[in-house]
Amino acid sequence: MPYDAASLDAAFAAVKSYDWGGDAAAFQPIDEAVIATHGDKAARADLEKRLAALLGAGTSRAAKEYICRKLSIIGTAASVPPLAALLADKDNSHMARFALERMPAPEAATALREALATAPDDIKIGLMASLAKRRDAASVPLIAAALKGGPKAAVAAAEALGIIQSPDAVQALASVDVLAGTPVAAAALDASLACAEAFLRQGKRAEAKDIYQSLAKAAEGKPAAKAIALAATRGLVACADSSTAL
Amino acid sequence: MSLRPIHLHHLRQAVASLALAVLAATALVSTTAVGRAAEADADAVALVVDLLGRDDVEFRAIALERVRHGLKGDAATSSVAALLSKLPPPRQIELLGALAERGDKGALPAVTAVLLASQEPAVRVAAVTALGTLGSGTEVAILKRSLATDEPEKAAARRALTALRGADAGKQITEAAKFGEPAMRPIYIDILADRRERTALPDLVAAAVEADANVRSAAMRTLARIGGPEQVASMVQGFLKAAAGGERDAAERAVVSICTQGSQKDAAAEAFLQAFKAAADADRESLLSPLGRIGGPAALAIVDGLIADQDPVKRKMGLTAITRWPDATVTPKLLQLLGASRDAAERDQLLGALIRIAPLPDNKLNDGQKLALLQKTMALCEKNEDRARVLERANAIRIVETLRFVTPYLDDPQLSEAACKSVVELAHHQKLRDPNKAEFVKALDKVIATTKNTELVERANRYKEGKTWERKKG
Repeated sequence: MPYDAASLDAAFAAVKSYDWGGDAAAFQPIDEAVIATHGDKAARADLEKRLAALLGAGTSRAAKEYICRKLSIIGTAASVPPLAALLADKDNSHMARFALERMPAPEAATALREALATAPDDIKIGLMASLAKRRDAASVPLIAAALKGGPKAAVAAAEALGIIQSPDAVQALASVDVLAGTPVAAAALDASLACAEAFLRQGKRAEAKDIYQSLAKAAEGKPAAKAIALAATRGLVACADSSTAL
Repeated sequence: MSLRPIHLHHLRQAVASLALAVLAATALVSTTAVGRAAEADADAVALVVDLLGRDDVEFRAIALERVRHGLKGDAATSSVAALLSKLPPPRQIELLGALAERGDKGALPAVTAVLLASQEPAVRVAAVTALGTLGSGTEVAILKRSLATDEPEKAAARRALTALRGADAGKQITEAAKFGEPAMRPIYIDILADRRERTALPDLVAAAVEADANVRSAAMRTLARIGGPEQVASMVQGFLKAAAGGERDAAERAVVSICTQGSQKDAAAEAFLQAFKAAADADRESLLSPLGRIGGPAALAIVDGLIADQDPVKRKMGLTAITRWPDATVTPKLLQLLGASRDAAERDQLLGALIRIAPLPDNKLNDGQKLALLQKTMALCEKNEDRARVLERANAIRIVETLRFVTPYLDDPQLSEAACKSVVELAHHQKLRDPNKAEFVKALDKVIATTKNTELVERANRYKEGKTWERKKG
């Protein structure tokens, strides 16, 4: 779909001065350009460049939100630096992550990992969720380290590892005492079971069985852990039964 | 979660033995994928068998779920079913249910063995139920024995015999219906109806004219349920064979049912008409009652002929038939006959028929026309007893004009109770009551002030408040 360059210029000008309560209909040419440039690398790159340039140009939070939404669709490695610059900003971090977690460029994951290494706990939680969404196995050591951090970050780390489901993630989860009665213990148990069920669905019975066995062993002789024993038993029977639906 | 010491002991035991079973399973090494799968399944069976022996219901539930929907193959079924004889009764019942739901016939020998060995009624019921789900013709013999016992096993056996799959099962039950113990034959015939065993129709036709009244009755009601136009002539013979009284009435209901209900009712009614025409004179007299209840233009022509006959016996037969008509198509004829008749008994008979028939659906008259017909009938009534019946029948016509027709009779001391009842019945229908609330409230107030029937007062008050009323059962 062709788009009008003059209208596009006007739309960018509108974004630059936009804030909540303003007329977002003025952005329509940009939306149309996102669609029209599909398959046209040069035009896309130009559009991306113009959008990314506005991220650090004194635009409002509302404008940045709009830009991040567009970059989540057309963004490449070229957009990563300006987006990464927003990750530590508590007002804009979540929208930067919104864009980065959806972009196929590996640089996006790298930026999220680098931010995780230094971010405070409240921002770390979101970064781990974004890395989990990308199922970024390379981030497991960083996330695993958070298991020993503050309680909220530790819970988020366990949840992220349960989504990543790599062997390292499983190992990291196994380091948590699931019977400790803490929020992170409960999250780690859920995450471990999620990994086991995913492995079973993928036909990786041995990997699933290892998790269920370790949970059964942990619950052994502990009446308070009956729910864990039941879940582990159910999983072990499913692993052994070749008719289990995969 | 806190558990008592006994539970703690069992849980420890459970987890320990589970760990052992898992370790044993892990130790097995196989060289082929098939071999690995087979060994894994053997491990699964071993785990399930282990779990089924647990005291903890939640661990058993895991195993029972796997019995229902997992563990491929006959060998797994046999291994699990072999546990049946070793379990206490409550666990036997659990496992029987799961094996039945699993649907593998491989469990049949073990289930049969439980039925033969157990004296526990609940276990026997569960085993009988499982046999019904899993079994076929082979299981008919053992289920017949259960059918001859007491409740609740008897009822379970009946359900199981109904559920059994396969033509052979149907054939054997048909044989039992033909040659079984006289007292049991009607039960087998009813089972054939529940199974919709149409291959048994020739035998049922023969049974409908047998010497045994119970067998005849069962055959007639089964023919009514699964028969078609082809069986109507034989059902007519069954009707004629039926002894006067309850059996004859039931046989008439069976014949009328097949000729007035279902997709083949018209063909069945035609078959009945042909059988009527072919019957001897004496039999025709008996058949006039079902003929009238079946109705239809051809039947009306026959009835008209009888009514017009000079022979008073034939006229009486014709009048009896027309007063049993199933719809309002004969109302003009009834009005004409009533207008011409001078015989008191005949007039009573015709008036009674009009009162019954006028509100019936016939797909020709709308509600207003039906009410007009009922009002015309009211005008022909000479006794308060008949007028009261008209008022009570009026509530079948659910329009506000009916309320306006009935309400004036609330002031008539002789008819007020019938009118009260009719007003209350009309008010029961919210879709009629709500749009005409003011009229209904006025009439209901009058009912409350007039009737001596406390239930009617209670209902009238409820309807005034917009509440409903639940009709007492029985």
